[in-house]
Amino acid sequence: MKKHSYLLATLALILASAFTFIQSQSWKIAEGYSVKFDGGDPSGEFTALKGTIQFDEKHLATSKFDMTVEVASINTGNGMKNTHAKSANWFDAEKYPNITFVSSSITKTASGFEAKGVLEMHGEKKETTIPFTFTNNTFDGAIEVNRMDFKLDDGKHPKMMPSMKVTIHVPVTI
Amino acid sequence: MTRGIFVQSLVAGILAAIAANIYNQIYFFATEVDYSNIINVGSLIGLNLGVSLIAGLVNILLTNLFKSKGAIIFNFVYSVGSFACVIIPIAITLPLSTPFPELFPGLTVPMVFFPVIAWMTIDPLFRKSGT
Repeated sequence: MKKHSYLLATLALILASAFTFIQSQSWKIAEGYSVKFDGGDPSGEFTALKGTIQFDEKHLATSKFDMTVEVASINTGNGMKNTHAKSANWFDAEKYPNITFVSSSITKTASGFEAKGVLEMHGEKKETTIPFTFTNNTFDGAIEVNRMDFKLDDGKHPKMMPSMKVTIHVPVTI
Repeated sequence: MTRGIFVQSLVAGILAAIAANIYNQIYFFATEVDYSNIINVGSLIGLNLGVSLIAGLVNILLTNLFKSKGAIIFNFVYSVGSFACVIIPIAITLPLSTPFPELFPGLTVPMVFFPVIAWMTIDPLFRKSGT
């Protein structure tokens, strides 16, 4: 009987110890998010965003972003441009349906935070740093994306700017 | 002559506006996509009346310049001009809050031809009356 008690106590301690690991807060993406891009013409947004967000200002080492944007959700405000953007000439949404960002580290900066990770788009991967802020349960970030890094060029638009400003606004709930 | 053209422009504009509003309703019931922030009763009346009145002015100008051939040239210019204007609703960039921009040309491209159709429909009536 005493032997069983020790065994049970050991098991209980092992189970309890599992909860002592520091875990970052898990967040769910709330309504009202936006992923907008501005390259002059075209400009627009992606309307479908999903992913997992682990973030705690006090435990950045265990914080992580794993975000996915659905390419087919692109909206430039013009049907013809939307179709063109999804075609094989640009994003090739059929072959590369998602744009993903998976962070490898998050650090604090003077103005907020920085998420370093891999941005994958159009089948190309690139180490990217996204500066962002987190206030009132909302993430706000902005980056310059050079479309040439991701081979997004059909060679027919030489006047189009090579880089686009991408702004991300993600309200979250627990 | 000028008064007759003005009345013809006005009637054509009203008819085109009525047709455009009917088509707008039909399109809404068919697709359930709401473009009322851009295309609504007021904007359709304004656009169709405006286009028809401008067409009337062009008609007067061409009739004065080319006399008897003015009407023929006007019809040609109005038709080709309307056809060229098809590019406007196709190329326009809508506010990002507007859903399904892909369906917008389906609503607006036919409407581009309503003023010219209305004009040519009533044109024989006005010629016959000698105005």
